Amino acid sequence: MSFGPAVVSPSWLEAHRESDSVVAVDVRDRRDYEELGHLPGAVSVPGDRFRDPSSVAAGKLPAADDFADLLAEAGIDPDDTLVAYGGDPALAARFLVTALVYGHEGSLYLLDGGLEAWRDGDDRSLTTDVPDREPTDYEAALCEDAPLVDRDAVEAAVEGDAVLVDTRTAAEYEQSRIPGAVHLDWEDLLEDGRLKSEDDLEALLAERGIEPDERILLYCNTARRLSHTFVVLRHLGYEDVAFYEGSLTDWVRAEAPEWDPVELQEQVRHYADNGGFEAMVDELGEDVLGRLKLIGLYHQKQRGYFMLRTRAPGGRLTVEQARTIGEVADEFARAPAEYGGPDQNPVFGDGYLDATTRQDVQMHWIEIEDVAEIWDRYDAVGLSTMQACGNSVRNVVGCPAAGLDPDETVDIEPVVERVSQRFLGDHHYANLPRKFKVSVTGCHEDCARSGIQDLGLTPARKDGKDGFVARVGGGLSDGPRVASDIDLFVEPDQVDDLVAAMADLFMDHGSYLDTAVNRLRFLVAEFGPERFREELESYADFEFVEPDEVLTMDYRGDHVGVHEEADGRSYVGLNVPTGRMGGDEFAELAELADELGDGEVRLTPNQNVLVPHLTDDDLEALLEDPLLERYSPDPGPFTRGIVTCTGREFCNYGIIETKNRAIRWARELDDWAEQVGIADDHEAIRIHMSGCSASCAQPQLGDFGLRGEVYRDDYESGRAADLGLGGDLGNDEFIDWLVGKIPIDDVPDVVKATMCAYDADSEPEESFTEWADRTSNAELREIVTERPARDSPAIGTEVS
Amino acid sequence: MSGTDPAATDGPRPGVPQAGVKGIGEDPREQDRDVAEAPGKIWFRDLDEAVIEADRCIQCASCVAACPSDSIGIDEDEGRPTLVKMCTGCSRCWDFCPRSGLRYERHLELTQEERGLAEPGTYAARATDEAANAGQDGGVVTALLAALLEAGEIDGAVVAREQEDEPLRGEAVLATSREELLAAGGSIYNQTMGLGQLDELLADADLGSEAHGASDSRAGSETTRETDDPALAFVGTPCMIQGATALDRYDHEPADPIALTVALMCTRSFEHSRLVSRLETFDVDPAAVDTLDISDGELRATDAAGETLLETDVDAFDAAGLRGCDECADFVGGAADISVGNVGSSDGETTVVVRTETGESAWETAAPALETAAIDRPATLEKLADWNRRRAESILPREYDPEAGIGITYEHHRESYDGTDREPEPLNPARVHQYEEWC
Ligand SMILES: Cc1cc2nc3c(=O)[nH]c(=O)nc-3n(C[C@H](O)[C@H](O)[C@H](O)COP(=O)(O)OP(=O)(O)OC[C@H]3O[C@@H](n4cnc5c(N)ncnc54)[C@H](O)[C@@H]3O)c2cc1C
Ligand code: SF4
Ligand code: SF4
Ligand code: SF4
Repeated sequence: MSFGPAVVSPSWLEAHRESDSVVAVDVRDRRDYEELGHLPGAVSVPGDRFRDPSSVAAGKLPAADDFADLLAEAGIDPDDTLVAYGGDPALAARFLVTALVYGHEGSLYLLDGGLEAWRDGDDRSLTTDVPDREPTDYEAALCEDAPLVDRDAVEAAVEGDAVLVDTRTAAEYEQSRIPGAVHLDWEDLLEDGRLKSEDDLEALLAERGIEPDERILLYCNTARRLSHTFVVLRHLGYEDVAFYEGSLTDWVRAEAPEWDPVELQEQVRHYADNGGFEAMVDELGEDVLGRLKLIGLYHQKQRGYFMLRTRAPGGRLTVEQARTIGEVADEFARAPAEYGGPDQNPVFGDGYLDATTRQDVQMHWIEIEDVAEIWDRYDAVGLSTMQACGNSVRNVVGCPAAGLDPDETVDIEPVVERVSQRFLGDHHYANLPRKFKVSVTGCHEDCARSGIQDLGLTPARKDGKDGFVARVGGGLSDGPRVASDIDLFVEPDQVDDLVAAMADLFMDHGSYLDTAVNRLRFLVAEFGPERFREELESYADFEFVEPDEVLTMDYRGDHVGVHEEADGRSYVGLNVPTGRMGGDEFAELAELADELGDGEVRLTPNQNVLVPHLTDDDLEALLEDPLLERYSPDPGPFTRGIVTCTGREFCNYGIIETKNRAIRWARELDDWAEQVGIADDHEAIRIHMSGCSASCAQPQLGDFGLRGEVYRDDYESGRAADLGLGGDLGNDEFIDWLVGKIPIDDVPDVVKATMCAYDADSEPEESFTEWADRTSNAELREIVTERPARDSPAIGTEVS
Repeated sequence: MSGTDPAATDGPRPGVPQAGVKGIGEDPREQDRDVAEAPGKIWFRDLDEAVIEADRCIQCASCVAACPSDSIGIDEDEGRPTLVKMCTGCSRCWDFCPRSGLRYERHLELTQEERGLAEPGTYAARATDEAANAGQDGGVVTALLAALLEAGEIDGAVVAREQEDEPLRGEAVLATSREELLAAGGSIYNQTMGLGQLDELLADADLGSEAHGASDSRAGSETTRETDDPALAFVGTPCMIQGATALDRYDHEPADPIALTVALMCTRSFEHSRLVSRLETFDVDPAAVDTLDISDGELRATDAAGETLLETDVDAFDAAGLRGCDECADFVGGAADISVGNVGSSDGETTVVVRTETGESAWETAAPALETAAIDRPATLEKLADWNRRRAESILPREYDPEAGIGITYEHHRESYDGTDREPEPLNPARVHQYEEWC
């Protein structure tokens, strides 16, 4: 191809447009092209079709095949001369740059002045006639010498390797920029929409040190504006021009100091004593609120107050840590008077905390003034809130019975610890495209839920060595997906390298630009497991091998109750309905664990707590403690199985209130189960309730999955829930959502009716999941929509 | 139940609804759904595809106002709704969108039953003061609002004015004085998305302590507003009024500040950039246009000196119209307290329909500022309304049925629209706003 692209005038086009191999390309919206008219003979390739942030291709580039299809459909041949124009010259330039990157062979020209300039000429009217061009079989592939650079090249440029040019407006440049970049507003190259004279342009460029013999790297925000500058520089004969497709968006997240968790924590500490929330927001801007997630602070819907998330890797806490958390909650998680003070919550009062499904602890109403004190106390006992939220390697979930279980293969504690330490506070890994969730299980029962993790590790063996097999790309919210097995064996001390390799791959391929689809599982889905494995191997510094043997996987559930340890002692799992507990109670539990156990408390992925290492006498003493009346090792089946997220009480998104409602329901349903005589048939009946359709309570895994909704009829609207049945990660089973918008107060009756149907219809020994799986969705739908009249006596008598 | 390997199943195909699987494009968000959706489940994406991508959005901003998590914002360039943070899948945007989940004709029916006067008043009127010159027709809206403001009946009015840097492009403003109302007089022929900006407008406006009902300012309230219970007049095209009054019928908070609704009778609105582009093809410099006026099927552009720049059949501007307006049968703004237009009245007069008690009492308050007569040609108004309804019925792919339920399900929408030129278009990743807020 000729050296290009270049800029041509309307009269050039006028003179050449009769030629069949010169094609004008209109990049405006299809409707504008069709209805407002276009240059005679021009084909339509709308800008919004060749800018695709969600493809695996870099930045906003479309996938090569999609681009090829687009050009083929427009009737363009690989060696056609293309003349792009549109309302927006940068978008037209973008088209040319895309064609260049994908190896178009013909010349590429930008129409100077675009549509306007064309119309200014004599007798250059527009037409709505669509040219009659045969579709071609255009093929496109990423050019080997495509002028694209990655972040490493930009880093080198920062070090003086090349001239880095920021093509955005002066205001944007002032606000933030890549260090060392010179500023050249792309529009400064234009005057009244036309390209300035070459002399003017050369002066403009020389002023900024942008010389033809230099290597030039361009960036903007979304790789549109830089395209125009790129075309103009090439037009002027600059040879070594390239651009950074990821652009500032990518750079800022990866490198900017305000995204450094350690630095951020220091800043926030400063405001604890200097003006608190308002001063912080005034000086750092509202957008600091989003970044605070990096250090475990999540802004509540009540302005000025935060949810604080504390991480417990693998769910393990020393009693000092547990006591500290309890005391901090009791002291700081208190609602101000205007939000109800000590009576903020009718069930839990004030000063409570929540155990989560990722083995974190959350508490609310934290103010900026309090955080320095809290962090000091945390530091003293080795706790951290850093990267508990945000786009980083999140709290590593581990089997809570690790080291206790008689069937354990690998002790995961050192593994969890090493992974946690390696990524904690690491700026480079603190800003991944999105969050990155890892779980490690050492026993044969996959209680850490590898199927819903970005990376889930379960025990395996190779050449007599114990280790793990990896599953990748699972997850629940926005597009649930069960993780794929990539047949990869890792030794325990390779795990942190594997996590790092995966994080690196994620950063390179997981687009920072299409934020809606940049969970790791989209990448796995797009690559497919095999290619993903290959890519991953290229990032890892060890050779990939397959396991000889994958050790049984089974999903146990919740660890509630008394269980024997490998050494003959016992551990007790206490049920914490919905995970919520008074801070004082949590501290009290730590006290008990200190006195009776062996200095440890653990959190489970079911929002429960576990006290390990009890001798028989200590066990008895613990079981008799009054605290266990509320947090029982032997609760009713509904109380045992209830899991909820935060819900409307504190969450900006929550549509329904969850925790109090769940506790109320669980009690009511347990009483009912007792009455109708089914209570003893079930260990746990798992109702998982999320306040909205995000998956914080993992509704897809429940026997009953619920998520908050609204309903409306001609006269009324109210709160409601979607319902699904029969989720179970044990056999990779997510629920299907059966019905939507059940008015919220009808839910307990629906649960009762379903349990009755199960009791009546199931085979002996058939679990609820199996039954739900076997029963058709249509039948299930009928069961849950044909609500029995409330308090129908038939239900009770029939079963008992 | 499903737990299948996603790689093994085919992705959904455009235009082919799949049982339980939503969305129509081959967007990566859909490629690996391991879970079937609940029937009737709606995400913003569904609204986006059925309405916005399908180029049927009328920019009424009902969805923006309706979203309980404020997840929908307004795209700066296109003036259309766009997701700005996580969508919780609550369906409310769909439920209140007159181009999808809200059966607007049913809503009109219900509001009329519930709030309509047995005999609506119809007048031809003109302002007796300077509002007559500031206004588009008789300046009635301007005079009415100024009178209500000065009588303390309202704290402000949400109206429209031309943006400073973009000729002919409207923006919503909250006018709190006669001067501001006069400056905002006249019609803007594109949508402002004002219904979606009430919170911001209120936060920016200084309604101050003298404002209506502003006595007990709750400390720590969720909004930063000074005034707790402002009373606003809300002026807009009929579809904007549909959204505002529908939210109000269900007691949804975004409609709380609205105390009076005024509809500008309308058969269509325009897309700003196309309107400008169209004017340019007639060699009219949009910046030179002082007023645009569309009446009796003619579009007229005049400059500041009153010189006519263009006079042409409005059909020549078809390509610039909002395509979604073709589905609208609500020329008269049937849900509003008061509707205004020019059909049936002489030049310099406004046609007014007062439809509710709220409207009646406002009308009485403003009476001294207005000169009122019987409408010249009432039949013209009716004829136009009739024509408008027939056009909508002929274009609307779904049934037009004021007696059917108010909600239209996703499935029903797909059944009626698929296969027509108004069917849902796949979500276009290039148009998706890049947001970074999730729970
Ligand atoms: C898009 C559009 C199409 C119309 N089509 C017709 C028609 O076909 N037939 C007909 O009889 N009448 C039509 N009208 C109404 C007409 O143009 C006048 O607005 C109406 O007659 C009132 O005139 P007035 O002098 O009393 O109002 P004015 O005193 O001029 O007051 C009008 C008020 O409405 C506000 N406003 C103007 N445009 C908008 C807008 N787009 N969104 C929100 N507020 C706005 C102004 O800021 C002002 O406060 C249309 C209006 C619009 C906006
Ligand atoms: S949260 Fe609800 S209203 Fe908001 S965009 Fe999503 S579905 Fe629509
Ligand atoms: S028509 Fe109105 S409610 Fe529907 S999408 Fe457009 S702005 Fe939102
Ligand atoms: S014609 Fe109907 S849909 Fe279009 S702007 Fe007017 S009221 Fe809205």
